[in-house]
Amino acid sequence: MTDTKGSREAVVIERTFDVPVDVIWQMWTDPERFKEWFGPTDATIPVAKMDVRVGGRRLVCMEAQTPSGLRSMWFAGEYLQVVPNQLLVYTEFISDENGNAMPPSEMGMSEGHPTTTEVRVELEPLDGVTKMVMTHVGIPSDSPGAAGWTMALDKLAARVATGSRR
Amino acid sequence: MTASTAEQRLSETFAVLANSTRRAILARLAQGEATVNQLAEPFALTLPAVSKHIKVLARAGLVVRGHRGQYRPCAIDAMPLEEVLNWAEQYRPIWEARFDRMNDYLTRLGRQQEASKKDD
Repeated sequence: MTDTKGSREAVVIERTFDVPVDVIWQMWTDPERFKEWFGPTDATIPVAKMDVRVGGRRLVCMEAQTPSGLRSMWFAGEYLQVVPNQLLVYTEFISDENGNAMPPSEMGMSEGHPTTTEVRVELEPLDGVTKMVMTHVGIPSDSPGAAGWTMALDKLAARVATGSRR
Repeated sequence: MTASTAEQRLSETFAVLANSTRRAILARLAQGEATVNQLAEPFALTLPAVSKHIKVLARAGLVVRGHRGQYRPCAIDAMPLEEVLNWAEQYRPIWEARFDRMNDYLTRLGRQQEASKKDD
């Protein structure tokens, strides 16, 4: 796959943390640790279930107080790659409380696909500190992968740009 | 607009684009407006099937229908598409804030560990 850095379709963030690599691995894979940092400031994470192995499922609930009351949002996904202290890749999509993907039925789309995103976390120990590179990319379910999706969008974007100049 | 509303709308746009026929329709409309008949031509689809795709695109704000008597040509509205293309821009601050919190949490954990060492 090509380097997605600088792409408008992928978030790539590199950070260095002043702790050993296994501590950062726990931040991502231990539900109690994960709950402490993942949610926005005004939200809590009452549920985080993580079966951290290839093919294992994950389920996270985010709860936030809104003017119309307490609002819960569920996100489910699957672990695609698990190499302890090195590499973690998982998918994520909006789901119900049982982890079933929510079809965008409110749009009246009978053949609607759920939107899936993929999160990739790469860890590298550097002299007692840890370099982390996180990549987050959106993948529609009919695409073979992020690369194909990005190419399709780029093509479309180029055509839109041409069209709007008319 | 709250981050979650923007995220939700983005998810909806993604869902609409998660179909190669709809992307092809948009690509055709990017070259100029067209009628449903014209849009159906390159596809091995019935007119009602193409109409259905156009309805979905219209509901998502990606396509607008004109009114010229009997004639209702379709045109592209690139705004929601721009949002998808700028997808990363919307998520970046959310992740940056998360990692700031991770860092704060690590600092808290570090202090707790030091405190418990002193207690020993």
